[in-house]
Order: sequence, then C-alpha cells, then structure tokens
Amino acid sequence: MNYIELLDKQPDLVTPGTSACQGCPAELSLRSTLKVLGENTIMCIPPGCMAGAGCVGWNFDSGLKVPVHITLLDNTAAVLTGIKKSYEADGRDVTVASFAGDGATSDCGFQSLSAAAERGENVIYICYDNEGYMNTGFQRSGSTTKGSMTTTTPVGEVGKGKEQQKKDLPLIMAMHNPAYLATLSPSHMSDFVKKVEKAKSIKDGFVYLHIFSPCPTGWGFDGAKSIEVARKAVETNLFPLYEIDHGEYKFTVQNKNPKPVSELFGMMKKFRHVSEQGIQEVQNYVDKKYKILQSLVG
Amino acid sequence: MGKTIAITGNTAAALGAALSRPKVIAAYPITPQSSVVEYAASMIADGKLQSSMVQVESEHSAMSVVQGAAMAGARTFTATSAQGLALMYEPYFRMSTLRLPMVMAVAGREMTAPETIWSGHQDTISVRDAGWIQIYVENNQETLDMIIQGYKLAEHKDILIPVNVCYDGFYISHLYEGVNIPEQSEVDAFLPPYKQEHVILDPEKPMAVDPMTPGNLVMKYRKSHLDAMQRAFDVLDKIDQEFGDKFGRYYGGTVEKYKCDDADIVLVAMGAMSGTAKAAVDEKRAQGVKAGLLKIRMMRPFPNRQVAEVLADKKAYAVIDKNVVFGWPNGAVYMETKAALNQLGYRVASLPVVGGLGGADISLDHMINVIEKLEKMNKGDKEQECYWLED
Repeated sequence: MNYIELLDKQPDLVTPGTSACQGCPAELSLRSTLKVLGENTIMCIPPGCMAGAGCVGWNFDSGLKVPVHITLLDNTAAVLTGIKKSYEADGRDVTVASFAGDGATSDCGFQSLSAAAERGENVIYICYDNEGYMNTGFQRSGSTTKGSMTTTTPVGEVGKGKEQQKKDLPLIMAMHNPAYLATLSPSHMSDFVKKVEKAKSIKDGFVYLHIFSPCPTGWGFDGAKSIEVARKAVETNLFPLYEIDHGEYKFTVQNKNPKPVSELFGMMKKFRHVSEQGIQEVQNYVDKKYKILQSLVG
Repeated sequence: MGKTIAITGNTAAALGAALSRPKVIAAYPITPQSSVVEYAASMIADGKLQSSMVQVESEHSAMSVVQGAAMAGARTFTATSAQGLALMYEPYFRMSTLRLPMVMAVAGREMTAPETIWSGHQDTISVRDAGWIQIYVENNQETLDMIIQGYKLAEHKDILIPVNVCYDGFYISHLYEGVNIPEQSEVDAFLPPYKQEHVILDPEKPMAVDPMTPGNLVMKYRKSHLDAMQRAFDVLDKIDQEFGDKFGRYYGGTVEKYKCDDADIVLVAMGAMSGTAKAAVDEKRAQGVKAGLLKIRMMRPFPNRQVAEVLADKKAYAVIDKNVVFGWPNGAVYMETKAALNQLGYRVASLPVVGGLGGADISLDHMINVIEKLEKMNKGDKEQECYWLED
C-alpha cells in the first residue's frame, strides 16, 4: 500500500470537532501519525496546541479514539515510560507514543526526555515543532528560530526578536543514541509515513520523531500556505529531512541546491523586521548545522 | 510466622514494598532514603523481586513513571525524602487527584535552608494538603507493616487514594531493630492483586484520562475525594484489625492510645519521638503522675473525633511537633489537634511544643520537662506560648 492509499484507507483516530486553527499542520500530522500507528496505541499529549484543540477531550465531544492522557508539561517521557513498563511486565505489545510541542520537549520536559532516551525506553516520543508556545499566544521557546518576533521577544525600539539561535533538538537527541530518530515534515508525506511506520516497528529502544509544524496564526501567514512554508523550510535546509536507524545517519530527502533562508523569512510576519545581517546570521547557522549533518551521514 | 531479623528502617521499607509485589518501581536516590532504592535494586538483581524497576533521573520523573504505570493498571512503589518530595510536588498532586492508589515511603527530612540532610517532618507536613493519605510510624516494624497495610487502604474501592508511609529519617531509616518479616504467602493472602478499573489506559477500552474539566465537575471530584478521605478512618481501623488477627500486631488504626484512659495530662506525638514519649510517661507514672501519650498515626485525613475523644476530658495536653507552620508560632499537629477539639466543642488547656528540627535530639529530659509544664497548668488556662525543645 502506498502512502496515499494508506492515509485514505486507515481509520481516522482523531475525532471530528477538534478546534485547531485553520491550516494547522500539527492536526494534519497527528491524524496522519495515528493512521499509521493504529488502534493498539496509547497517546500522551502534554498541554499545548493539540491538547488545547481538544485531542484529550473537551466539552465531551472531541478527542482521540485511542486511549489518551494529558500529561504535565514536563513529564511526558516519564509517563510514557511507566505505561510501557507496565505493559511490558504483562507481556502485551502496545505502542506508547507522545505528541508534544517543542516547548514541552525542548524546555521544561527535556530532562525527562533525555533520561528516557538514555535508558532506551521502547517508546515513541513525537515532537511537533511550531517554534514556540503557540497555544498560549506565541511565547518564545528554546526551539524558536533566531530573529523571530514572539510575545516574549517583542520587536520595538530596542528589541529585535529572539536573540538566540534555535536549539537543535533532533541533533541533541541523536547524541542519546536512540534506536531510531527522524525529522518529518507535512510537506513530504511519503517520507513522513515511512518514518512513522519505521518508528512503529522498532522494538529495541527509544524512538524520537521531530515534525516541523509551521503555525499560520502565530507566525503570520495564510493558513492555505502551511504546506508551502513547511516545504520551504526543507528546501532551505532550515529543517533538513533525515533519519538515524540504529546509528546509521541518512538524508531521506536530498537537497542538492538549497534555497536561501531569506525565501522562508519572506513568507511570514514573524521575520518581517529582521535585517539582512540578521538573516545572514541564521543562514550561517543553518549552513554550519547542515555541514555537521553531512559529516555524520558520511 | 515469618522470621525476625535485625534491619534498618530503609530495609524494612524495601522489604515491605517487595512483599506487596509492585509491578513497577521507579525511584531516585536521596539521603536518607537511598538504601531503599539500593535494596530494591539488589533484590531484583538477585532474582528475589519480580518488579520492573526504572532508575529515573529525578523524583519528578519517579512519580511520573509510577503515575504512567498506575494508569496502565500496575501496582507501584517509590520512596523519597525532603528535596525529592518537593521536586515531585507537581506529579504528587496529580497522582492523588487522579485517585491512583499506590504507596510511597518517605524517610522524613528537614527542608533546606539552612542546608541540612537530617531528620524532620517538615517535608511531608508541607504537602499535607495535596490529597494523599499520610501515615506516620514509630519504628522499623511499623514501617514494614504499614507499607503492606497502606496498599490495602489505598486500593480499597471506597478509598482509591495514594498513601505516604512517613518514617523519620536516620532515627528510623538508618537504625537497626529486630523486625518480623512475614511469609510471602501470608502477605499474599492479606493483600490480593489489585485490578484497577476507574482510570485505565488500555487500547481495548479507550478512555481520555483527564480532559479539560469544567469547575462544576472539579467541585464534584474534590468533594468525592474529601468524602473518601473521611471513610479512611474506618477502613484503616478494619485493616488494622484484620492485619492484627493475621500477623499478631495491632497498631490502633488512626491513633495509638498509650495509658490515656485514666490520664490527667497527655502528650500528643507523631513518628519516632513516640518511643521517647512513652518512656517519659512511664517514668512520670512511676512518680505518681497520671500521664499518657496519644500517638497520631494518621495525619491525613486528620482523625478529629478519635483525637478529641481522648483529649476532651483531660486537664491539659501538649503537642510535640517536629515541624513548624510558617504563619503560626508553632507546629502543624498542634493546629490540627486544637482545631479538632474546637470543631467538636471542647476547650482544653494546651501547650504547643516544637522540637527535633533538622535532626536535633528530642531527649527523655525534654519529654519529662513537657509533662512537668503540663502538671503546672490548670484546666482553665489559656493557650501557652510555644515551648522550643532546645539544648
């Protein structure tokens, strides 16, 4: 079954009636992910956009069709661990996965995530990265790209947006030696589905999936362009698509002629104020990161 | 009936947990609790304990792992102290308010600052209003026994509230005493396997656990939680009776009354200091003073009727607190005791006492001094200033 057939035929395990913003690729990613993971799955969703959109139930009329729990913002990986350990002790094979935002992942939830990865727990930690605390009105996170205007890094007479480069969660997690790690984008669904299928098949250790998830509401672009923005992030190498299967690094989407990050910056309001020098700083960071990845792929 | 060996309180805690057969254990070492974690790990390494143990990176994750396991239906165990308990406060509150039964042993320790690792009740007292049942014990045997009883209480269908078994750091955690270790088969007969139904994460029975909840339902849940707390007095009494019938050790349930019946003056104590208080009562009784000890075993919920019943007709009582309440010039157990008496319409002369903070000694002389202060009080005396058990 190719990915289009799969996404068409598998039951949608997210109920209708979720209240994500128009054009939200996180909801699309969650629906697609659960179509692949299937019904024998337990989900943990910490506070954030997907919990706020009602995926853990809201007004008693929406949620997921698989068991789901809203974890604390900072303990998702530890809760996954406990659920999995209990089922392992029972000898039952159940897929235990999270769908956590980048704030819950890169900031306050990082300690428990790092430890679960180090212990090699056989769970699937999925982060959807919309570069900030979008559910609460776009505060900065460690995963916000440098220069971004956010409500906690506002632009004014003095302020010029976020002053620090984006924390590279996938590479940090790669150094934890997971059984499987991949970056995913809703703009590349064939690649996306393959990676979730691979994640589901892993039985010997920790899985980390990092999904790039542009936010039309927070970043300031038309909701019809979410996939276009996500594609541009891949094409500019701001978000390269790769996987690490038991230590083997591989680019899953080749990008021979990367486009300049300025093309991505021009697509949304959050970067509108960024100077050419500011864009160049991000370009240099993206280029350096890509070189590191190339050397790891070998 | 089992065998009696000399072990520390921490070993007793680990053995009590092991006899209760938890499916999942998650713990992070902290002084003075560390050897609980080590002992559990060594039992697993030796093939003597079948639990799945997760060596987490923090107490926050310890409580989060056992919460996940409990939601998958597992019986779980963890142990901590002071700073660790403070770090796990967020999932600690979640565990109780999700009504997930478990037992957590706490080797009581003073809260920093000033920097300290020594004994105290400040850690558990500071979280007494976070929805857990809290039981304080006097010695190593009671530590082991109450962990086993604690599971039966927590998992009772009329309760479904997690239980802290609080034993004084160092005074209990590190000192050796003879402890009778029951046979596994005896414990199995007393504590059957637990089957959770009310909150469960299972693909065969999909459930959204803890969706965003409106205030009217929060009100309902809180009242239900408080009602279940009030049922815990009777349930613990019954469990104590059944335990005593099986194992030959009765503790009195919510409180232990030591020579209280004909007493004029009563010491109210909690935890390891109770042994010293009993010795002081005996010594003063030998001098003809009608003294008694009321040992608070259950601090949450607070057994107001049981406490008031003992103290209502006494001349005076003193409460010795190994903690303080910031905002009142005394400790927490004193406040609770006074509130219990007042709630039921009694007014008895009383003396607040604070001692043993940060591992400071509570000596026999201290306890005798307290009794002698009470002897000088009259039935109609107003509240006394807090007496600090200093050198």
